[in-house]
Amino acid sequence: MEKTAEQEGRVSFNRRMGRHKDAIIAAVILIPMFSFWLVVSGFPTLFGFALGFFEWVGLADTPNFIWFDNFVSFFNNPVYTDALWRSIWLGGLVTAITLGAGFGAALLMNMPLFGKGFYRSIWYIPAVTATVATTQVFNIFLDSNNGVINNILKALGKDPIVWQYSVGWGIFWIVVYSVWKGVGGAALIWLAGLQSVDASLYEAAEMDGAGRFSKLRYVTMPGLKPIATYIVITNLIGAIQIYEQVLFITNGGPYGQTEVLVFRIYRDGFWDFNLGMAGASSLIMAIIVITATVLYYNWSTKSDKQTTIPIKPVNRSSKGGSSHVRNT
Amino acid sequence: MSGTRNKNFKKQFKPAYFFGHIVLLGIGLILLYPLIFMVLAGFFTKTEFTATVLGIFPIPKQPTLENFKALIIGSTDSSVAMYFRNSVIRTAYNTFWAILTSFLAGYVFARLKFKGREVLFLIMLATQMIPGTLAIIPTYLEFARFPFAGGNDIFTGGTGILNSWWVYLIGGPSINIMGTFLVKQSLEKVPIEIDEAAIMDGTGTFRLIFQILFPLQLPIMAFIAITTALGTWNDFITPFFYTTNDNLQTLPAAITRLSSVGASPGAVINYPMIITLSLGITIPALLIFAFFQKYIVQGLANTGIKG
Repeated sequence: MEKTAEQEGRVSFNRRMGRHKDAIIAAVILIPMFSFWLVVSGFPTLFGFALGFFEWVGLADTPNFIWFDNFVSFFNNPVYTDALWRSIWLGGLVTAITLGAGFGAALLMNMPLFGKGFYRSIWYIPAVTATVATTQVFNIFLDSNNGVINNILKALGKDPIVWQYSVGWGIFWIVVYSVWKGVGGAALIWLAGLQSVDASLYEAAEMDGAGRFSKLRYVTMPGLKPIATYIVITNLIGAIQIYEQVLFITNGGPYGQTEVLVFRIYRDGFWDFNLGMAGASSLIMAIIVITATVLYYNWSTKSDKQTTIPIKPVNRSSKGGSSHVRNT
Repeated sequence: MSGTRNKNFKKQFKPAYFFGHIVLLGIGLILLYPLIFMVLAGFFTKTEFTATVLGIFPIPKQPTLENFKALIIGSTDSSVAMYFRNSVIRTAYNTFWAILTSFLAGYVFARLKFKGREVLFLIMLATQMIPGTLAIIPTYLEFARFPFAGGNDIFTGGTGILNSWWVYLIGGPSINIMGTFLVKQSLEKVPIEIDEAAIMDGTGTFRLIFQILFPLQLPIMAFIAITTALGTWNDFITPFFYTTNDNLQTLPAAITRLSSVGASPGAVINYPMIITLSLGITIPALLIFAFFQKYIVQGLANTGIKG
């Protein structure tokens, strides 16, 4: 008897306190987390952007506020504009190859093959390895003295190649490494997309006499649009910021000609202690990434509306529609 | 049943399927090749490795397990085992916090009603767009000038929290935004009646979160735990940039210091040691993947479709 009374009291207390209590619990949980987040993430990011407006060379130096001079020198110095341009086309190239090869692999993995789970695993394995570790294996292959590839070339009676002296080969191996690491993940996401396409559409297409390729063109590809948006954005954003493989495979060489922008930021910050330029480059990189994301996202949602027949009513609401529904 | 199986088996030899097998297996093995090479190289002694003309599949004449032993129980060069231990501790710490913070924050954003919830969540997601690597240098400055730490009088004078365990400890309790997003999404599919029934029964918030809702989210929590664990395990940035003390190094940072990035210019690179350390990173990562790949595949598919 007493217990039920107590419970009832508690429920009515909860009802009365309702909103208030929620806010208190939320504060207790979120405030510590966000404080730590500010220290390790929020503040450094803002601080980094602010650095772009200062001339600051070396930790011991006094920072000097110079307005937009760093940005002016960014766009007037070919070292930076080249690095920026290289980031963009290298990122685009890596994305295109990774997603293309991944899509092909996903089409194959989507067939009812024996051991497809095994194939999925071995394709994805490179993604879970550490860049530091696996780039070193690539470096053993590419070593100029006792590198595996040069040993093979020598055995075949060809001249060994000093990969490190060549811009083309440097870029080539950076791309190979990036694709090696990314292709399995891309294949898995494409595969999930392929499997989410409504199977009855394929049957309908077959009834209409569609062949393998027209099914791919008119059923699979439109059905993949949402996932394609996602995978292109995330891969492009990731690939534009590639720098670890640059750091470990070419280290920017020869003569900085394989530098990409994020590598340049690292180099300015930790080698040349040019903190102002590192900050300015960071801000430019962030602006590019954010603009690309927003533009692509807008574009893909807009073109979706034009091309697809609105079978379902438009999304309930962009901001947490489901929670509003639940409140009623 | 055996009939359908037989039919499927025969189907495997249809040209399209056969092509699929050849390509997936062939390229798959090529993708695995660098790791196979790494394992083979792990059986070499240091002297034999440098003396051998390396071929595609290097086979040692006197295979040794020393490199593997050094990782676990240490050897004359005992720091390898220490790097390994540091890696394990750091990974366990970050994973623990990732699970806790993403679940709690996910719960807050999915279930609790308070002013500004949607706005806060959107701002949080937006910060995810800012490239994380850009904060490396400012974080270095911040750690170096950390108030009242490491001999700093307010901002200057000492080394701040650089080169101390604080470098690792401070990041853990920060909010895991991707995890929060995934938990929020997943919790919103759990009927709120479960919460209401539990509260009716007199369950407190704490028990509701950990005894009732948490067990329902195990697959998504496993995904968050694995991605955080692998991310921390493979990360060289924090230990390499913010610590120099040998006691604080992890496996990836130790490799970085031995590689062309960290070694003095022109030095001969100690590849046998790098291989040992690389095996120390790669084998546990592969084991984690082997045990939990179901969750990884599922999680990737989920993030992809909903993204």
